[in-house]
Amino acid sequence: MAEATKTAEATKTDFEPNIVAFLCNWCSYAGADLAGTSRIQYPPNVRVIRVMCSGRVNPLFIMNALQQGADGVLISGCHPGDCHYMQGNYFARRRFNLMRNFLEYVGIEPERVRMSWVSASEGAKWKGVIEEVVEGIKSVGPMDSFKRRQLNW
Amino acid sequence: MAVKKLSKDKVGEALKELMKFRLVAPAKSDDVVIFKQISDPAEAYLDYGNSAVPPKKMVFPQTETLFRFVTGEPELKEKNVEEEGQTVIFGMRPCDARAMSIVDKLFDWDFDDPYYQKRRAMTTYVGMACTEPPSVNCFCTSVGGSPFSTEGLDVMLTDMGDYYAVQALNEKGEKLTETIASQLEDGGDEKKIEEMAAAAAGKIKRSIKTDGISEKIPTLWDSDVWKKVSASCLGCGTCTFLCPTCHCFDIQDEVEEMGEGRRCRMWDSCMFSEYTLHASGHNPRPSRKERTRNRVSHKYSYFPSKFDDIACVGCGRCINMCPVNIDILDILEQVVEA
Amino acid sequence: MVDITKLRDIAKEVISRDDVRQVIGYRPGTYGFRARPAFVLEPADADELIFSPACINNLATYIVIEEKLPVPRGQEPDSRKVAVMVKGCDSRAIIQQLEEKAYDRDHVLVLGIPCEGVVDMDKVNARFPNVDKGDIALEGDKFVISFNGTKEEVAKDELLADKCKRCRYPTPLVSDEMLGDEVERFADDDFSDVEVLEKKSRDEKWAYWEEKFSRCARCYACRNACPMCYCEDCVLTRLEPMWMRRSVDISENTAYHIARAYHLAGRCIQCGACEQACPMDIPLMDLNRKFYKDVRELFDYEPGTDAEQPPLLSTFSVDDREDFIL
Repeated sequence: MAEATKTAEATKTDFEPNIVAFLCNWCSYAGADLAGTSRIQYPPNVRVIRVMCSGRVNPLFIMNALQQGADGVLISGCHPGDCHYMQGNYFARRRFNLMRNFLEYVGIEPERVRMSWVSASEGAKWKGVIEEVVEGIKSVGPMDSFKRRQLNW
Repeated sequence: MAVKKLSKDKVGEALKELMKFRLVAPAKSDDVVIFKQISDPAEAYLDYGNSAVPPKKMVFPQTETLFRFVTGEPELKEKNVEEEGQTVIFGMRPCDARAMSIVDKLFDWDFDDPYYQKRRAMTTYVGMACTEPPSVNCFCTSVGGSPFSTEGLDVMLTDMGDYYAVQALNEKGEKLTETIASQLEDGGDEKKIEEMAAAAAGKIKRSIKTDGISEKIPTLWDSDVWKKVSASCLGCGTCTFLCPTCHCFDIQDEVEEMGEGRRCRMWDSCMFSEYTLHASGHNPRPSRKERTRNRVSHKYSYFPSKFDDIACVGCGRCINMCPVNIDILDILEQVVEA
Repeated sequence: MVDITKLRDIAKEVISRDDVRQVIGYRPGTYGFRARPAFVLEPADADELIFSPACINNLATYIVIEEKLPVPRGQEPDSRKVAVMVKGCDSRAIIQQLEEKAYDRDHVLVLGIPCEGVVDMDKVNARFPNVDKGDIALEGDKFVISFNGTKEEVAKDELLADKCKRCRYPTPLVSDEMLGDEVERFADDDFSDVEVLEKKSRDEKWAYWEEKFSRCARCYACRNACPMCYCEDCVLTRLEPMWMRRSVDISENTAYHIARAYHLAGRCIQCGACEQACPMDIPLMDLNRKFYKDVRELFDYEPGTDAEQPPLLSTFSVDDREDFIL
């Protein structure tokens, strides 16, 4: 029994999470790019999907990513007031707030779904965000509640 | 074969012995009774009215894989139904069992459906007679059934108070009763069962005259009656998904990982707007009126004209569960009058 | 209480008007204690109209689910009004539909029914099983249940639908004609039911919802019964892109329920039609009410109360909370 708990604990923290990150074209994507060109080291767990604006991110994207095997989802956009399209990130913020609360309500850990503001000049902040997100997801373990099961039949 | 007795305090033991098969029994999920595979006799809930979803889903699952495929590999991996093993459905209602023998006619008609037929052959059906009608909307006696009908069953149980009377109805049933022989006692009273059957049939409150309906319905194609009876329809699939004789399905491919996937079939409902939607965007049944007409016509006209059997067993689920109280008996009455 | 004679007279008068196509109301059901929707097309039809605590359906749904079939060449589309009877909660559906510009205000003629609460049919059927024909009336704080020549009184609280126990708008908020006297608010909403679920641990929450979601048959009754679900091409069933598959398993069912509830965030008006329609007894209102509560607390917004306010998610405030953002 103790052995089993130990292995369960071990897989919980040892696993390398898959994180899908939706980055806005104008700020966060450039910020992540800056982190790369500045040779800042950060955990390699994120798979970036570039979108034109964080307001483009449909909350169903989050749900669908979790279904398809992502352990976590990050949405990142420009700081309030800096949106290339003036208001996109404000809409995103409102939608995401509700979605995150709701996922927590049905038992999906809020650590899995995060949102951040990262500007084009914040390569260092990007590193910090990723470290925090990865750590959070490692603390809750792999996503398995409503992941699409690889059924044999 | 003589009627045996299964004392109620031995039901648990009997179920335990049946667990060497895939044992499916009514079980409670909150206040809803559903048929599911059980692994503990305590899960079985035999003192029930009727299940929300009929046990047909055990033979004709709501979603089932037909085969799997991998891009680049010419061979398909076909589903082997036999792997599921012998199944016993325990305690199903006679109407639901009758429904299976009606659906059989479809699945071994012009195409022998291997998935359905194999599963059907591997399943033993243990019925539970309705000593009391499970709902006010039961009308099995009007459509050729009865609360004690044994059609489609292999073993019949009758609740006699402190014991169940056990009747094996055919070879398959006898085989099954042999596996629980150590729990059975002799001395079931066949006469009393017959008396109870007559009494139970008398307790069915609702009825409909079905003579001539199947000929009448096609003459009403353009009638206003359909508009009238479908006005309150919401277009949901409750009546069809919970119907023990509805058997429409859709086939879809689902990709699971890069280049890998499965072809599966899932229940479909003629009440959905997507049901007859063509790729062109044209829909030959564009509104709820046509869909309702199709549902009623299929059950009471098309199916009988092909297979001599009304595709309705009178379980009353579609009446009980309809959110807006659309009532098949009410529809049929209006059809007769139209 | 609503006077049935007056209700029928008004319905007759309304359907006799040239600019009204149909009156949607209630009539006695076919079994048990049920009532069902009635579609009055001519004055004589109005004689079967009723209103009782058994009138549980939200008729506002019928305004928006009608198929818009192509009109034969040479004919004009029927632009006459639809008259519909609404309880307090149902009237909020109309306001919300107007807020979303589902149709013009001129399209509907609202007959308001001040409502003192309707029953929960499940509770009635559990208390009085297998009754083939019966009646329910509300007298003071008691429901009077009559069937087979017997009459029984039951305390209102025991059979009242949960949504009515929290009803804050018993009198319709929009109406062209009121069919009874205003009913004073008799209940309030403290969201204690949502809080109970919120307080569970994460594992408990998932275990709770996993059981509910896994028995979902995906009949789409909850969606179709909902007066706010009227998209012609619904995200829950569309094939391209296919957000959730038609296959029924815990993953797709969870996705279905998350998406359905989310699409009602800031739109659900708490009429309970989804939960009442569900054949599998899934507590759908618990999902909707979480959004309802959050929307009220975070954005001070209440759907279906003001047709002039912009829909919640198509607007924002610069000061929206963002303490959850990294």
